[in-house]
Amino acid sequence: MQVLKSLDSLGSVLIYVGDVFKESAKSWSHREEVFEKCLSVIQQSLATTLFAGFFVGAIMTLQFTLQVQMFGALSYLGALVTSATIREVGPLLIAFLLSGKIGAFTSAELGTMKVSEQIDAIRCLGADPLKEVIVPRFLGIIIASFFLLSFGLILSFAGGLLMAVQFSGLPWEQYIQHIPQVVSGFSVFSGVVKCLVFSIVIATLCTYRGYTVLGGAREVGEGVVQAATQTMIALVLADWFSSFVLEGLFNA
Amino acid sequence: MIEFRKVTKSFGARTILKDLDLVIPEGKIVFILGMSGTGKSVLLKNIVGLLKPDGGELFVDEHPVHRLDETAMMKVRKICGMVFQQPALFDSLNVFENVAYGLRRHFDLGEEEIIRRVQESLALVGLKNVEQKQSHELSYGMKKRVSLARTVALRPKILLFDEPTTGLDPISTNRVNQLILNLSKDLGTTSVVVSHDMVSALKVADHIVVLEKGNLLTQGSPEEIRKSHIPLVQDFLAEVQ
Repeated sequence: MQVLKSLDSLGSVLIYVGDVFKESAKSWSHREEVFEKCLSVIQQSLATTLFAGFFVGAIMTLQFTLQVQMFGALSYLGALVTSATIREVGPLLIAFLLSGKIGAFTSAELGTMKVSEQIDAIRCLGADPLKEVIVPRFLGIIIASFFLLSFGLILSFAGGLLMAVQFSGLPWEQYIQHIPQVVSGFSVFSGVVKCLVFSIVIATLCTYRGYTVLGGAREVGEGVVQAATQTMIALVLADWFSSFVLEGLFNA
Repeated sequence: MIEFRKVTKSFGARTILKDLDLVIPEGKIVFILGMSGTGKSVLLKNIVGLLKPDGGELFVDEHPVHRLDETAMMKVRKICGMVFQQPALFDSLNVFENVAYGLRRHFDLGEEEIIRRVQESLALVGLKNVEQKQSHELSYGMKKRVSLARTVALRPKILLFDEPTTGLDPISTNRVNQLILNLSKDLGTTSVVVSHDMVSALKVADHIVVLEKGNLLTQGSPEEIRKSHIPLVQDFLAEVQ
């Protein structure tokens, strides 16, 4: 029974994504709202994302220093940290943070609009809530999250470098020396693709959960919790799936 | 005219409207009374297509609402304005833009005409100099009146009110009742008012419908309802006495 319910839920999300993408393709007239939402998401989350990005790099450096020192390969620290951060840990951890910040805000905002009959009012006043409310948020979140994730990754590099110089006593020239050998163009491409995939996951689930809330304040709360937990699960699955596809692509 | 023919609506295992037959005549003020959960709001939402009947037929003038898609429903929503139970104002817009929202989407009007219609509608509900205020700066009663102005601005042929006087003070309640009367008299609007308020119903309505468990319990003019011996109607009348 639970399996059927989950499949039903997955089907509804897919139909929703299809509808939103269809409307998004026709949303040139809503570009100002998209830009507005994008800016507001960046304003809300820039500081936290940069902070998280910086410390993701710093923590990775801290952890890897102990390992590589054991093998006398400290000069490979920068290459290892950058590779792991750009391809895997950086996008995922920053996306988790964004899902909490943007996801909770958006699902609560849309859920409140739904239970306070604002969405119904929009329909009665001759507009399509999918076009007027969802698409600007959906596109705004994708663009902003992609920008934030990419910027967070750059800061993670800076965090790693600073920690290596300050904590591990490694000169910056040595830190970056082996990066080109380990971090290929494909690694950067993988990181960027993951940032895009994670942005779409966050935008989809947090708008969907808010838009489909039924009931009152309690249900809005439940919707926010569902948005947060389901986004995190979806991010892990999307990470696994995109790694799988990208590795396949690389080996082919 | 609005006509329900054996309309049924369920949510899961719970049937809200059961084979409801009801005719709402043109140009009249019809109050729909009933206990909470008897399907009064569901009835209104079916008229504007926010909900779809599971069975039966529903006509608004010549429009078969039960089989219209979202695009075709726009024509019905242009003639059917709905005032919601909650003010449902858009937080991101000021009062002017809230009232102008439907005008910008349903009609192709110039900015001057929009300004005139917004001011006229706000004056109708007794509000002045609030155009630039945000909704959080208004009291609950004022929000309800702005919401009413937003619907009235469209000059709909049919007005649907979902508990318009709930949460209002007696003066605002009288003002809303008077407004429903004026709109009906001056513009020939058909008004369907879902309410628990028997006092307002007896004062304002041309026709009163009482629902029980999703079906029609009784209906008639205010005088006929006053004389009813049905226990539920008696309970509502006790509020007046």
